[in-house]
Amino acid sequence: MSTIKNFATAKVSKSIWALFGILIGLFLLTSFIDPYFFSIPAIGVTFALAAPLGLLAAGQTICMLTGGIDLSLAMIAAGAAFIVSVKSPSGTLTALLWGAFFCILVGSINGLAVGLFGMNPLIMTLGMNAVLIGVFTVGVTTFLKGSSSMPEILVAASNATFLFDPFSWPLVIWAVIGGMLLLLLNKTGLGRLIYAIGDNAQAARLAGVKVWQVQLATYVICALLGGIGGVIIGGQSGAVAISLANPFLLPSVAAVVIGGTSIMGGFGNYTGTILGTLILTVLSYLLATINSSEAVKQIIYGAIILILAWTYSKISQNS
Amino acid sequence: MNLVQARRQSWNIGIVFLVFILGFWRINQLPQFGAYEARTFILGILPIALLSMGQAVIIIGGGINLAIGAEAVLINCLSAKYMAGTSFTTSVLLTVFFIAIGGVIGAITGWIVSASGIADIVVTLATSFLLVGIAMFVMPQPGGGINQGVADLIGGKDPNFIPPLFWLIVPLLIIWIPLYRSRTGISMYAIGSNKDAAFLSGVNVNLTRIKLYAVGGLFAGLSGVVLTGITLSASPFASISNTATLNAVAGAVLGGVSLAGGVGGLAGPAMAALILYFIPNILLAYGIDPAYSQIITGALTIFVVLVGGLLRKRTEKN
Repeated sequence: MSTIKNFATAKVSKSIWALFGILIGLFLLTSFIDPYFFSIPAIGVTFALAAPLGLLAAGQTICMLTGGIDLSLAMIAAGAAFIVSVKSPSGTLTALLWGAFFCILVGSINGLAVGLFGMNPLIMTLGMNAVLIGVFTVGVTTFLKGSSSMPEILVAASNATFLFDPFSWPLVIWAVIGGMLLLLLNKTGLGRLIYAIGDNAQAARLAGVKVWQVQLATYVICALLGGIGGVIIGGQSGAVAISLANPFLLPSVAAVVIGGTSIMGGFGNYTGTILGTLILTVLSYLLATINSSEAVKQIIYGAIILILAWTYSKISQNS
Repeated sequence: MNLVQARRQSWNIGIVFLVFILGFWRINQLPQFGAYEARTFILGILPIALLSMGQAVIIIGGGINLAIGAEAVLINCLSAKYMAGTSFTTSVLLTVFFIAIGGVIGAITGWIVSASGIADIVVTLATSFLLVGIAMFVMPQPGGGINQGVADLIGGKDPNFIPPLFWLIVPLLIIWIPLYRSRTGISMYAIGSNKDAAFLSGVNVNLTRIKLYAVGGLFAGLSGVVLTGITLSASPFASISNTATLNAVAGAVLGGVSLAGGVGGLAGPAMAALILYFIPNILLAYGIDPAYSQIITGALTIFVVLVGGLLRKRTEKN
C-alpha cells in the first residue's frame, strides 16, 4: 500500500514541478512582451481574475475525481449571480442565501441523477445546461424580472484590494476555499471516498460505501463552488447576464486537465488545478496583449489545451 | 435472435411507434398536410439527423465526439464562403470536396485520440474550441451563399421533398450499410463492447477508431454542407455548435445507441431526430413561449438517457 502511495505521490510531484516550470516560462514570456505585467498591481489583477476560474475549476476537480464532469457549471455560476442580483433589493445576505439555495437545488438534481439513477454525468449536465439556459431565458421576462446589477457591496468587494497589493478579496476567498478543499480531499473521509469511487466505484460499493451519497455531496459542493465563482464574476463585471460565465466553462475543464487530474477519476489533486488555472489566466493575458482576435484566441486556446494534455499523458505514461 | 437483439428490436419498434404517434399529432395540428409540409419536416430534421448518425457511429465504437457540432459549423462556414457566387459545376465539386474535408477532420481527431491516449472527451472538447475558432477565422460574420442550382439539389424546390429525403437516406445506404457489413463494422462493435478483448482478438483498435471518427466526420461534413444548402448562409457561433452536439448525442441515444458502446445502429438515430423535432413543435403549436423549447430539448435528453439507462440495467439483471 505504502509503495503504491509513494509511487503516486512521486508522479504527482513530478508533474507539479513541470507545470510550475511552464507557469514561470509563460510568466517571463508575457513580461518580456509587456513589461507592465512584471509589476505588483498587474500580478494582483491576474490573481483576482484567476480566482473565479479557480473556484469553478475546484468544482470541476472534485467531479472529475469521482469520474464525472459538470458541464452545467457555467450556467450554475451565471444563475447564482443572476439570482443574487434579482434578490438584491431584499438584502445582500438574503440574496446570497437564495443563490446558495439555487446551487444546492441544481447540484442535488445532478447528483441524484448521476448517483441514484446512473445517468451519464456528461449527458446529465449537458442537458441540465440546456434546461438552465431555457429557464433563465424565460425567467428574465417573467419570474426573475428585476435588478440586473449585483449588490454594491459585492461589486466593491470583488474589485477591492485586501490590505495591500497583490492581495485582493477574490484571491483571499479563493485561498480560503481552496485551502478548505485541499483539506477536504486529503484529510477527510469524504475526500478519500471521492478518490475511492473515482478509482473503482464497483469496488467502493462492495466495500460498503454509499456511492450515491458521495456523488450527491460531490455535485452539491461543485455547484456551490461554481455559485461562489459566479458571484465573484458578477461582482467583477457589475452587471449580470445569462451568458456571464460561459467563457469559463471550457477553461474550468481545461485547468483541471492541465493540472493532471484524470478525467476517468481517482487520480489528481487540487494543487495541479491551481497551477492550471494560473497558467490559463497568464495565457489569456498574453493573448490579449498580442491583440489577437476572438478566432485566434479560440484556436490557440484549444491547441494549448491539447498540447499540454498530450504532453502530460506522455510524461505520466513514461514514469 | 438472442435476448439483447430482441430488446434492441423492441426499442426500435417503440421509436417507430412514437414517431408515428407524434407525426400524426403534429399533422393534425396543421391546417393541411401535403408535399410542402413534408418538405418542411425533412428540412427541419436533416442537419441534426445526419449529425446524430455521425455521432452514433463514434459512440457505437466506444468513443464520443463533442466536436461534431463544431465540425459541422466549420464545414458550413467553409462551404458558404467558397461556394458563394460560383457556377453550378464548381459548387457541385466543392460540395464533394468539403464533405471529404469533414472526413479528414474526423480522421485527424481520431488519430489524436489514438496517438495521445487522452480521453475522447478532453480531445474533442479541445478540438471543438479549435474548430469553432477556425470557423470564426474563415467567416468572421454570418453570411456566404451557394449556387442556387446546387441549393435546389439539396433542399429541393418548394414543394419538392424528394431531394432532402434523398440526402437523408442515401448516406445511410452508401456509408452505413457497407460499413456495417465490412470487417471494420465488426471491429466497430467489438471495440465498443470491450476494447481490450477486441485488441487481444487481433482487432487493430487504433485504426478502427480513426476510421470511425472519419466516418463521423463525413456525416458532420454532410450536415454542414446540407445546412449551407438549406439556409444559403453560415453562422460561426460556438452556441450553435454546442446545441448541435447536444442534439446529436440526444438523437443517437434516443435512437437506441448505448453510451457504453457496442450497441445500436443508424436507422434509429435518423428516426429519433424526427422525435426531437416533433415534440418542441407540437408544444409550440399550443402557444408556448419558444424559449421553452430549450428546456424541452434538455429535459427530453435527460429523460431519454435516464429511461435508456434504466432499461439497460433491467436487461443486465435478466
